[in-house]
Amino acid sequence: MSDISPKARRSVWRRHFLIQGCWNYEGMQNVGFAYAILPALLEIWTGQPEEAQKSVKRHLEFFNTHPVMGAVVLGAGVRLEEKAAGGEGDPAGVGAFKMGLMGSLGAIGDAFFWGALRPMASIAGVLLALFNPLAGIATMLILYNVSQLAIRRRGFQAGFSGQEAVVEWLKKESLNVKTNSRKLAVTVLGGVYAGIIMGKTVAVGATPLHIIAIFLAGAVIIRFVTEMFRKSVSPSEVLLFLLLLGVLILWK
Amino acid sequence: MIWKFLLAGVIGGGCYLDRTAAYQMMFHRPVVVATLMGWIFGDFFAGAQVGVVLELIYLVHLPVGASLPPDDTGAAIFAGSAAAFVSRDAGGGCFTALILLSVLCAELGRLVDAVVRKVNGRIARIARDAVERGDIKAVEQSLLAGLTLFCITGMLLALSFSVAGAAASLFLLPLIGADIGVDLSALALALPLVGAASVFACGRTEKTAWLFFLAMSAAFAVTMAARWMA
Repeated sequence: MSDISPKARRSVWRRHFLIQGCWNYEGMQNVGFAYAILPALLEIWTGQPEEAQKSVKRHLEFFNTHPVMGAVVLGAGVRLEEKAAGGEGDPAGVGAFKMGLMGSLGAIGDAFFWGALRPMASIAGVLLALFNPLAGIATMLILYNVSQLAIRRRGFQAGFSGQEAVVEWLKKESLNVKTNSRKLAVTVLGGVYAGIIMGKTVAVGATPLHIIAIFLAGAVIIRFVTEMFRKSVSPSEVLLFLLLLGVLILWK
Repeated sequence: MIWKFLLAGVIGGGCYLDRTAAYQMMFHRPVVVATLMGWIFGDFFAGAQVGVVLELIYLVHLPVGASLPPDDTGAAIFAGSAAAFVSRDAGGGCFTALILLSVLCAELGRLVDAVVRKVNGRIARIARDAVERGDIKAVEQSLLAGLTLFCITGMLLALSFSVAGAAASLFLLPLIGADIGVDLSALALALPLVGAASVFACGRTEKTAWLFFLAMSAAFAVTMAARWMA
């Protein structure tokens, strides 16, 4: 376990929320990472300004991962710096470790947080917001934040406990399994949303043929637009097309 | 009225910070932002109504690596502010028009975001040079500079988009004509369906596609039955 003081640890934890504060195309999260780890580095290299300088330079190298997963890498980075200061490891290995970890953690984080948890929280919030906007917004924020804050916290602690603990934590967290279950929930809730929206548009007393036609038209539009999204068409492009269509309708 | 736009700028700036630079706690999501804008300009529910539609449409574009998704926060600021100025009996077509117009803000916001990140590149280079000279505390100043840049740009964008939204509602929509609500009603259903497609694309694997359409059929039947019984 790390010998870093609780004060420095809390400081690193608070700062890690700003890891994207100076996001740029060359180094991406490099400045944010160096900023977050700085209190720990100053403590580890107390009285050795040259070593502290070298260590900050190491952390200003290119770095990019999912912002939530950045907590794990930060924790592990502090631990490795401590080991290097104690003569147990090569300081150059810190950078190599970060490079190795950021790619895989980034991919796992993007798939889970952006690809599954955020859509699930959004669609659940939107469904509730159709009836009560405040309840919808609260649901969305709670669903997303409870999960992401818990994962940040556990990941940060695992990182501080060392490389083996990170691997163990990743296994225990089983984010791949969670991604699949959240995606399943997204699929079902998305279907419910589409059904409610279309059910609201059918006029009361419509003929069965009319009802079936509306349902099928909706299903075909959804399928078609989904295929467009899968072919990397941007939502903005779809909206611009509809805007053009709207202008043509109004022109007529 | 001016203080309301200033408030929109300040709150919008906070939401923009949450979008990239700090915390990422989803306070920048369209449903939150549009509802806040609706509340500031006097029609909470109108803001929520457009926010709900925008929330899902942009979900499919993930902020991965160096790719910049459209600025859905900016789109929500525009549409949420504009919706609050639309008269309540204007019809769904007006909201449709505003949501469609908001795409221009989404693209403009994306361009500005790219410029901010380029400027941040210079800040990062200055930080590296300073550390090279032995000033390791420069990292803190650089991060603060980056944050300030994100925040000020966000506030300016939020202020501009809320003013543009109000102007679109008060001047552009009446200019287009009184029948806009009727004329664009055909497109009113298309937007939530684009949102549903975006959600479907997020959750979808070939194996579970049937589940989406099964849930859709069930919800469709239940909604219609509930409406007919009411």
